[in-house]
Amino acid sequence: MRQLLSMVALGLLCAAPVTAQAKVNIFACEPEWAALAEEIGGDNVTTFSATHAKQDPHHIRARPSLIAKARHADLILCSGAGLEVGWLPLLIQKAGGHVQPGSVGYLMASEYVPILEKPIVVDRSMGDVHPEGNPHIHLNPHNILLVARELTKRLETIDRPHAGSYQSKLNEFISRWQPAIARWENNAVPLKNLPVVVHHRGFSYLLDWLELRQVASLEPKPGIPPTTSHLEGLLQQLKAKPASMIIRTPYEPKEASEWLSERIDRPAVVLPYTIGGDDESDNLFKLFDRSMSLLLGAVDDQ
Amino acid sequence: MLKTKQAAMAAFIAMLSSTSALAASDKDIETLRAEIQNMKQAYEERINELEAKLNKVENIQAQSVVPKATTPATAGRSVKDNSFNPSIGVILNGQYNAFSSNEGEVAGFAVGHEGERPREGFGADHTELNFSGNVDDKFFSSITAAIAQHEGTSEIELEEAYIQTLAGSGLPDGMSVKVGRAFWTLGYLNEHHSHADDFADRPLPYRVFLNGTFNDDGAEVSYVLPTPFYAEIGGGAFRGDDFPFGEGAGSNAGAWSAFARIGGDIGNNQSWRLGGYMLSGSADGSRLSNEDLVSFTGDTDIYAADLRYTWAPTGNARDREIILQSEFFWRNEDGVYEDTEAATGAINFDDSSRGWYAQAVYKFDPQWRIGARYSQLQPANVPAGLLGSALDADGYDPQAYSAMLDWTNSEFSRVRLQYNREELSRGQDDNQVMMQYIMSLGAHGAHKY
Repeated sequence: MRQLLSMVALGLLCAAPVTAQAKVNIFACEPEWAALAEEIGGDNVTTFSATHAKQDPHHIRARPSLIAKARHADLILCSGAGLEVGWLPLLIQKAGGHVQPGSVGYLMASEYVPILEKPIVVDRSMGDVHPEGNPHIHLNPHNILLVARELTKRLETIDRPHAGSYQSKLNEFISRWQPAIARWENNAVPLKNLPVVVHHRGFSYLLDWLELRQVASLEPKPGIPPTTSHLEGLLQQLKAKPASMIIRTPYEPKEASEWLSERIDRPAVVLPYTIGGDDESDNLFKLFDRSMSLLLGAVDDQ
Repeated sequence: MLKTKQAAMAAFIAMLSSTSALAASDKDIETLRAEIQNMKQAYEERINELEAKLNKVENIQAQSVVPKATTPATAGRSVKDNSFNPSIGVILNGQYNAFSSNEGEVAGFAVGHEGERPREGFGADHTELNFSGNVDDKFFSSITAAIAQHEGTSEIELEEAYIQTLAGSGLPDGMSVKVGRAFWTLGYLNEHHSHADDFADRPLPYRVFLNGTFNDDGAEVSYVLPTPFYAEIGGGAFRGDDFPFGEGAGSNAGAWSAFARIGGDIGNNQSWRLGGYMLSGSADGSRLSNEDLVSFTGDTDIYAADLRYTWAPTGNARDREIILQSEFFWRNEDGVYEDTEAATGAINFDDSSRGWYAQAVYKFDPQWRIGARYSQLQPANVPAGLLGSALDADGYDPQAYSAMLDWTNSEFSRVRLQYNREELSRGQDDNQVMMQYIMSLGAHGAHKY
């Protein structure tokens, strides 16, 4: 029996493909980072996104398929700041040495951007707060730029022969991204100072960038699903001080925001939140285009 | 007279020697100066040489490593005085149990203490304390102690105390070695702490075959194969002390294990894992069970298989999820059984028994889940000498039905209500109600699939 098993093990080892990786394997935790990796990496990388737009990135299982993908990764690119704390550590534990924390192949985007909502005191009674601050950093396009620069540096180190290609891809990306930012900021003028209600604090960076005011969230505390008593309280608050809309991600349940929307007679808007969040948002540019037009559309209707 | 002569001589000698010393030192200084000059020259040459070399190396580096390896800024953030303390976590796990039957015997099986029916009434059993952290760049370590009630006294039970190699510690990618005491890889539930279970009690096969869990002292190596899909193999060697073995002696490993697992996704929202396991060893002293009334000495082989499947119908597992899970155990025992209560004497035994369970859990709301489980055991046919003993099932197959409802306020708290109908011996129908709370305080590691 012992011999048989060791033979099976040996057989499996030999059967395993020992191919030299021609392309850089990028394991992105969220679709927005996979999209950014494609912008900078182009044909020199293969990207994989561990989650899709219909999934709440806080609550992912460390599935066997993800273990296998992380095992092959040359670069792990995630939001960080505790967003993936429930599953990423298990994948990293079984992955290669070159993607461990502190290595070139381990890139947590939140470490390279200014963090919002960093609590001074943390206690679990405050809900699922991240001591590191709000991790949903990608909806400020200036953050995308900061992460793009860091990602380029990492790719240049990992894949030296193509360093020049990454640099030129970055330059090309910046040359398209910066005018886009200017355009979005220009279009966003009517949105300034508008009070909005969010489901979860997943849009803080978007609202902060466009200078909208986040006046309330449907979750009584971060990560705690909306309760009737909290919603009743919100209703009273919003009757006194109205908000212009309620926004949520595609993965958040619609019931609470639609209930409130009917009663305060303001639209409940589903923003794409990430790549694939709706049919139109299939790259980073379109994600922001679409988010802007949904926000502006909701204001025009009023 | 003699004395003055001697004194004069001494003075003369002293004068002589001192002048000669002076003369010598002048010469020495000359040579020393020359030597120092030489040395200075030699060192200057060497320094120049080294400087040239250094410049050369620096140039080479500057040329070859254009994009210098960047160090992530992680290290720069929030360094506190206690930043090197291990993570500390506490699991508060309490139950209230009510049973309709006075007896909880399992027909055809001699069970260990952990495999017995839990205590009735309130119990704050199995409060767990965990300390964990990276030791250095190569090792991770974790200690879990359970504070449990056993025969009227509180006992600290060392559930786990192990070190594990970190990825990047020099072993091949995907390989890890764990040494110490741990919930070893065997089936699905064995690796998990009971607070992560979907039901308030372990299913029947775990109770009779593993006494709840197998956490012997030993070592295990695992390797995630570099295949495009998930495949992991591994094996271990153990002391052979823990149930189903007993009193491992000497330096020989009393037990060993092997496992292989595969898994993958079906589409975007479904996922599965399938595993095969074996655990083999011997009770050299004896394995005591049924409150030390039954003993077994000899070899035990366990073969197990597990399957787990998860499906998030809306894509978001936070919102809705279905989890199906099943495990099968087959055990062969070859040795000597003795039931002192039935005064059987030592009886040779060589036969096999089986057990399995299947369960389904449905999360129908982000905070609410319902579940159902069925477990069944198939005891061995006992030899004539064991007829009438605790091992004699008299052709009866024990079975149990469970239904549970739990409410999860946050990732850190869960309250559960469970109903069991256990038919573990002929005519011994036991209706059970269990209420359980599981609260997690402090650091809490990510849960496995």
